[in-house]
Amino acid sequence: MIIPYLTALTTYFSYGLLFAFGQLRDFFRKSVDWWSASTLQGYAPICLGLEDFYIRRLYLRIQDCFNRPISSPPDAWFDVVERVSNDNNKTLKRTTKVNRCLNLGSYNYLGFAAADEYCTPRVIECLKKYTPSTCSTRVDGGTTILHTEMEECVANFVGKPAAIVFGMGYVTNSAILPVLIGKGGLIISDSLNHNSIVNGARGSGATVRVFQHNTPSHLESVLREQIADGQPRTHRPWKKIIVVVEGIYSMEGELCKLPEIVSICKKYKAFVYLDEAHSIGAVGKSGRGVCELLGVDTADVDIMMGTFTKSFGSSGGYIAGSKELIQYLKYTCPAHLYATSISAPAAQQIISSIKVVLGEDGSSRGAQKLARIRENSNFFRSELQKMGFEVLGDNDSPVMPIMLYNPAKIPAFSRECLKRNVAVVTVAFPATPLLLARARICISASHSREDLLKALEVISTVGDMVGVKYFPAEPNKQQVEVGQVKKVD
Amino acid sequence: MAILYVRAAPTTDLNRNTEWFTYPGVWSTYILILFFSWLMVLSVFACSPGMAWTVVHLSHFFVTYQFFHWKKGTPFAEDQGIYNRLTWWEQIDSGQQLTRNRKFLTVVPIVLYLIASHTTDYQHPMLFFNTVAVFVLVVAKFPHMHKVRIFGINADQ
Repeated sequence: MIIPYLTALTTYFSYGLLFAFGQLRDFFRKSVDWWSASTLQGYAPICLGLEDFYIRRLYLRIQDCFNRPISSPPDAWFDVVERVSNDNNKTLKRTTKVNRCLNLGSYNYLGFAAADEYCTPRVIECLKKYTPSTCSTRVDGGTTILHTEMEECVANFVGKPAAIVFGMGYVTNSAILPVLIGKGGLIISDSLNHNSIVNGARGSGATVRVFQHNTPSHLESVLREQIADGQPRTHRPWKKIIVVVEGIYSMEGELCKLPEIVSICKKYKAFVYLDEAHSIGAVGKSGRGVCELLGVDTADVDIMMGTFTKSFGSSGGYIAGSKELIQYLKYTCPAHLYATSISAPAAQQIISSIKVVLGEDGSSRGAQKLARIRENSNFFRSELQKMGFEVLGDNDSPVMPIMLYNPAKIPAFSRECLKRNVAVVTVAFPATPLLLARARICISASHSREDLLKALEVISTVGDMVGVKYFPAEPNKQQVEVGQVKKVD
Repeated sequence: MAILYVRAAPTTDLNRNTEWFTYPGVWSTYILILFFSWLMVLSVFACSPGMAWTVVHLSHFFVTYQFFHWKKGTPFAEDQGIYNRLTWWEQIDSGQQLTRNRKFLTVVPIVLYLIASHTTDYQHPMLFFNTVAVFVLVVAKFPHMHKVRIFGINADQ
């Protein structure tokens, strides 16, 4: 990404100042606490004073910009509950007032988050018939016909022979990786992979190496180096190598360079694990994800993972692969053997929404939704870029982060947008690198053209006030040319 | 008006405590902060430029020793404490020695020392304090001192 040099300097300086003030406050707090008696003599502290420094001194100051409670389904417009604080944002209390705001933060790519005319009646009927919870694990009593139908449906949709579904998306990654690979294996993951993958990789016991984000040449050099070296200390050959990438990176909005990565993995005989949490259902001509969009044969990707929370309006995650792989997972994966199975209404929502996307419900709403989200994302992104914002992400991707950089602009942007009834999600550390704070916009198929125009107007006004229009605003501006460091007039 | 742009390449450093040091603009910010603190000391204390440089040099010594070589771990809990035994200096660049960042950070106290001693005309007692400060800082940054705790000072239980 491209930063104006002065912004980089001021961002470092602001963080330095915040850090210095935080240390000063901590120093005084420690001196004051030393005098007051403590009732917990002899107990070890729950956390070291240094560990929660960021939370106490930086995050809590702007905590009204995060964790905002909502009181309606996250459709294109939703109700945001107002909160007040009496002690300078250390604690927040909910009030009974709500604001009707435009929703630019929910992962509602196809608009299934609110009531849908095909899905919701079926889900309610299923809720009455099967009750909310199966109260059992899949192997005990938690597999209903809905579960088998759903797994077939998902496998067909994704283009693989078989699939297995779990109740939670995060758990899918963190419980599957330890099952697939163990000590003596190698996991090579993209540097910006999601926390669930990092957790799963750490829990597996395999050696983990990282390659530069979306850079197939660096992946190749890491693979060559690791294959030549072998396992640490013994230098024996690796038992297996898995390369983990994501379809759309949720903080960048970028598509993965899948064709190159798949060809490199084939050359060096490594397995490819593709996490399509944000891209399944949202990109591709018929919504089948990043493989369809980039023209990669699904037989080349060994393990395809995805979640249903984003485009399908449900909850849960799936793994799709060959029949042998899924059969193996069914008797080893702890999330299948010990975790409660996905609830029946959620399964019905998945089945119904996939039917709508494929057009099997008898209407063309699925195709309309896909066309609308593509149009909306491309329109919004090009308009924002014309206004001079620095927007990341590729064309066709419904996730667009607007770069803010300075720590003070994060709460300013968030609060000013909320005052004008537009709810945006601002992301700072630790989800992004410390200096690359951003406001992440997620476009939905349920946003109408008027909603987008209103959002553009509000974001433009707030952007002017806060000063985040880092690029010159020209109607026919091309991508800013930058070598190492270059002047632009 | 010309605007200068730089490209921020993503790093492979997973340690969020140190990866900010790999982005462009850090070195300039560091030098500018030192320069502006010299100006502030001059304006607040109204002393000679040499004394101001000595004050800047010594406070730089205290601050960088505390945060680079004394405090261990990271200011957040997401990494589950895998760096809890390492100081910030031992964490940067994933423990590789003699990288560009480390060389830059070693040169800064030396240059500050030269400026401070030159502008005070090498008089005592400032020269003594300045020399002790730069000696301690430079020795702490040697590659051989990686993870060394002399006499068990600042070691863990």
